[in-house]
Amino acid sequence: MQDRPTAAELLREIADLLEGDVLMGAPAPVKHHVRVAANLARIVQRELEVGREANFRERALLGDLLGAEGSTAELNAEVAALLRANDDEAFARAAWPVLLAITLDKLSIDKPGHDAYDFSREQLA
Amino acid sequence: MSIDITVKGIAAFLSDAWQTPVEISEVAPASAGARRRNVLFTAYRDGEPMRLVATIIHHAGLQIMTVETEAATLRLAEDAGVAVAHVQAVCMDPAYVGGPFFVTNQIAGETVGRQILRLVEANAGLGPTIAHGIGESLAKLHAVDPALAHPALERPALGTTAIDAALAHVRAQLDVLLQPSPVFELAYAWLDSHRPQARQRLTVVHRDCRNGNIIVGPDGLRAILDWEVAHLGEPMEDLAWMCVRMWRFRNDELEVGGFAARDDLRAGYEAAGGAWDEPSFFWWKLYSTLRWGLGLAGQARAHLDGTFSSIVMAGSGRRVGELEYDCLMLLKNQFSPS
Repeated sequence: MQDRPTAAELLREIADLLEGDVLMGAPAPVKHHVRVAANLARIVQRELEVGREANFRERALLGDLLGAEGSTAELNAEVAALLRANDDEAFARAAWPVLLAITLDKLSIDKPGHDAYDFSREQLA
Repeated sequence: MSIDITVKGIAAFLSDAWQTPVEISEVAPASAGARRRNVLFTAYRDGEPMRLVATIIHHAGLQIMTVETEAATLRLAEDAGVAVAHVQAVCMDPAYVGGPFFVTNQIAGETVGRQILRLVEANAGLGPTIAHGIGESLAKLHAVDPALAHPALERPALGTTAIDAALAHVRAQLDVLLQPSPVFELAYAWLDSHRPQARQRLTVVHRDCRNGNIIVGPDGLRAILDWEVAHLGEPMEDLAWMCVRMWRFRNDELEVGGFAARDDLRAGYEAAGGAWDEPSFFWWKLYSTLRWGLGLAGQARAHLDGTFSSIVMAGSGRRVGELEYDCLMLLKNQFSPS
């Protein structure tokens, strides 16, 4: 077992450094890249913290939807193929909330807060 | 290519094109992307200063459309009264600066999306004015006789509609995703099953008019930039693309680029004679959200296969989930009526 700091704690340090001193000292054309790098370090940090659980959840949700077993990649491919066939409305309806739950888990790692916006004005009635 | 060589090449080309010695000063490299870069400069033609911009393709093979077609489209738009930069010269010969380029008048103003939002915050009423201006310009563009468009401008194959072509475009990108996206397949299936009525007449469509491709001043819209993905298609595509959440820079409540409401855009469009079609708008908005999600996935793929490696392109892969979420939420009432 590795000693503390954990991988996630180290990435937080790297992100803080990039967003602080490195960004301040970076020449203008590189600043955007530094911001992106800091953001990616935070994404990896969150993935280390909650990614394993999210993957278990995704696999279980997709498995329930299909009534089948397989790897997360296999189950995703199967759901995508069924939706592509576009001939089973009941399946598409059952898939929507499952895909939303999985996407919310993805966002909790890649872009926390993206789901805060209320889309109701923009939806088709 | 170094900026000195570029400047020498532009001066040599303009001297040849205008048949008089041209000197260049006040050179400032502006934005640079994967395919093209912009160089701002002052040219002295017979002693008269002209503030100009050269848009240079890194090399000819990177052109989505040729600079000749792009310049012709800009001129067509200008003649129709669309806010665009005036084209001064077009150079197809890569010998001068390493790639083909065209030269337009320089238009002062803000181009960076977030800076535009700051300008809008500091000027009451500016946001709706910009949106109104964009609506007017797009209506004028869409009124152009498509027969006048450059023959090389992309258009649907004979016997197919712009809707067919649009769906084929995203289908091809779905098929090369590095991993399947059930969400994007769901969105595609809905679009395929709910095609709007295609119009009888094709229109010139800019296809990338958004906060980030406009020049704005305290007086409103000054120009629409970057015409390299224009094509002949359906007019609501432009209005919907302008309203995609991704160009709002977190000002999500203001649908038009984070600076105005959809009604402001619509009012400008209708004031200049455009016909707004609400169901078609929704279809194109979902389509545009899907298109940009696939575009981000494509950037990540270009990074991973070495076509264009950059940390920004790598990061794009982790933005795909945002567009998947937006697709699901646009479709909420269709799949999960509350």
